[in-house]
Amino acid sequence: MGRPLLQAVQTGDLAPDGVLPSGSPLSSLRGQPVILAFAPDEWNPMLAHQSTIFARLSQEFGDGAAFVDTATDDWQSLDCRSTLAAQFGVAGQRALFLLDEQGVVRWKTVVSPGQDLQSGQVLTALEALYTSPVTADNEKAASGGLSRRTFVTATLAAAALLLLPGCGSSASDSHTVETAAAGTSSDQVPVVLTINGLSHQLQLDPRVALLDALRENLHLTGTKKGCDHGQCGACTVHLNGQSALSCLTLAVMSQGKNITTIEGLAQGDKLHPVQEAFLQHDAFQCGYCTPGQIMAAAALLQDPHTPTGSAVELREAMSGNLCRCAAYPNIIAAIQAVQRA
Amino acid sequence: MHPFQYQRAESTDQAVAAVAQNPGATFIAGGTSHVDLLKEGVHRPTLLVDVSALPLQQITPLAGGLRIGAGVSNTAAAYHPTIQQQYTAVSEALLAGASVQIRNVASMAGNPLQRTRCPYFRDPTQACNKREPGSGCAALNGYNHVHALFGASTACIATHPSDVAVALAALDAQVQTSGPTGPRTIVFPELHRLPGTTPHLDTVLAHGELITSLDLPAFAGRSHYLKVRERASYAYALVSCAVALEMNGQTIRRVRVALGGVAHKPWRLHKMEAMLAGQVPTEKLFRTAADAAFADAKPLAHNAYKIPMGRNLLVRALLETSGLRPLAGPAGTAFAASVGGMAGQLAGPR
Repeated sequence: MGRPLLQAVQTGDLAPDGVLPSGSPLSSLRGQPVILAFAPDEWNPMLAHQSTIFARLSQEFGDGAAFVDTATDDWQSLDCRSTLAAQFGVAGQRALFLLDEQGVVRWKTVVSPGQDLQSGQVLTALEALYTSPVTADNEKAASGGLSRRTFVTATLAAAALLLLPGCGSSASDSHTVETAAAGTSSDQVPVVLTINGLSHQLQLDPRVALLDALRENLHLTGTKKGCDHGQCGACTVHLNGQSALSCLTLAVMSQGKNITTIEGLAQGDKLHPVQEAFLQHDAFQCGYCTPGQIMAAAALLQDPHTPTGSAVELREAMSGNLCRCAAYPNIIAAIQAVQRA
Repeated sequence: MHPFQYQRAESTDQAVAAVAQNPGATFIAGGTSHVDLLKEGVHRPTLLVDVSALPLQQITPLAGGLRIGAGVSNTAAAYHPTIQQQYTAVSEALLAGASVQIRNVASMAGNPLQRTRCPYFRDPTQACNKREPGSGCAALNGYNHVHALFGASTACIATHPSDVAVALAALDAQVQTSGPTGPRTIVFPELHRLPGTTPHLDTVLAHGELITSLDLPAFAGRSHYLKVRERASYAYALVSCAVALEMNGQTIRRVRVALGGVAHKPWRLHKMEAMLAGQVPTEKLFRTAADAAFADAKPLAHNAYKIPMGRNLLVRALLETSGLRPLAGPAGTAFAASVGGMAGQLAGPR
């Protein structure tokens, strides 16, 4: 009866043939590299940040490869509960496979439920895989290696995978979420963080910044990594109600504090007044600094000391939050609108 | 980042013991500067002893003065009513430094212990005697525009970055410490060292010696901090100045002045202080004093601009403190302390 379920396909194996959502066999894509991304079926590729990444993947990969796509040409992941996932031995898991032109698995990575994929781990794997030097842009590397384009694409695909929500049981089922980091080091210590009212038990290297624990371990990716050196404010969170930079705060030192992230600012479906005002006043363009701007502004409006009575005082008080799109006038207008309300 | 173990200190004594007995150990409090140095690979401790939860978080009256616990946040100190009114330069220096987010977390003892912002110190691929003794100084013949005018050596031309340290030096704050050999008091201007041949040592603190408080002695005069930056806000000082002035009728009874951004430590101008005592404040007097103060400045290839900038800043800070010229913003705020940028804009329509 063929390959037993749950026996994972290994690197170097000929990929099992199976039926794609479009109804075509996987083998019909032979002759070009293929990336297969398995993810939960609730994942929606049309969400803005996900579709942006997949559009980029499409561009990088050019006409030399294919994602499994639907009739609408939208990039789409494969349901991790599908038969195809079982054929690849990754049922219920987030997984990424890179197949070469002959349909041989050149690289794979699997993220088990409740586990994290560390971006560093993926990059290390990809670097090891990328054995041949680049001879020319878009040129196939020597035998066994991957072309630069394929390498870039695989890197981007791995990055995309990091954004996928966990497969299997939903994290929100439990108020206490256990997250074990992949690639455990012997120096990890237990860390309990209280974030948006929920307690999270983690095993972390003491070197992990609060920002990275939020994003990499807890998938609270609303908090952004800009400079990672305390110069831009994109990573602003609240510690006991006061604004703070999560990139300059070790996670292990944040224990016992009430941590609020941008995900915890709204009350259910009701946006925080600052969030609402940013929408009303078009207080962003690219949006990358926006969570940090909003968190800084929200804390400021509760701050009994910092003077904010004029636009100049607001600009001084918000000077730790940079905006490369220079949406500053609208940011100030949004905050002043909340003050007037 | 180099691997390290982490330990939360239960008491001051335990923190001191933990660091003193381990040459690779170091204290961490707010971490706003320290974590960045860990990320850059400039600091490579094997053990971090977290003192941020120790009961050193109070500001209390002290024999006419004020005791600021080492763990008090920069924000809490800056907006403390007594500090804002009686030690105005301290509030101004704090609020003209960093950002709200950083001030909320940074500690009062940690702020003066910041390492230099010399870019060569922060780049482990560059020679730096402060980071790696004996490796040389890449700044000496490099782009040394933010470097020292006074007290430098051929081993190191870095400047000290803290704003509040300059104000504390002008106010003769006292540093209380707890160390492996017991407690001691260090007068603030003596906390930091000049580089000499040992630029890796920023202060006179021993390994394992922990600052427990900063004590401000009684002060009945006016104090003021003024700072020039490359942008309107959220930047380190190119040059800064703290003045603590006590008048006797129309004449200066005592004035203490410290410069920031020009030396390896807050740079007290003792000769100028002596010269101004007993004088009636005028712009001419201050101009003459400032010229004398910078007469022995030793500029490098790219920082000579700091001499006229520093002279003018010094004159302006003295004029503003003595009331001969209005402050650019409300006393005790970042607006009073900032030259250019947002300073003065408060006067316009709101």
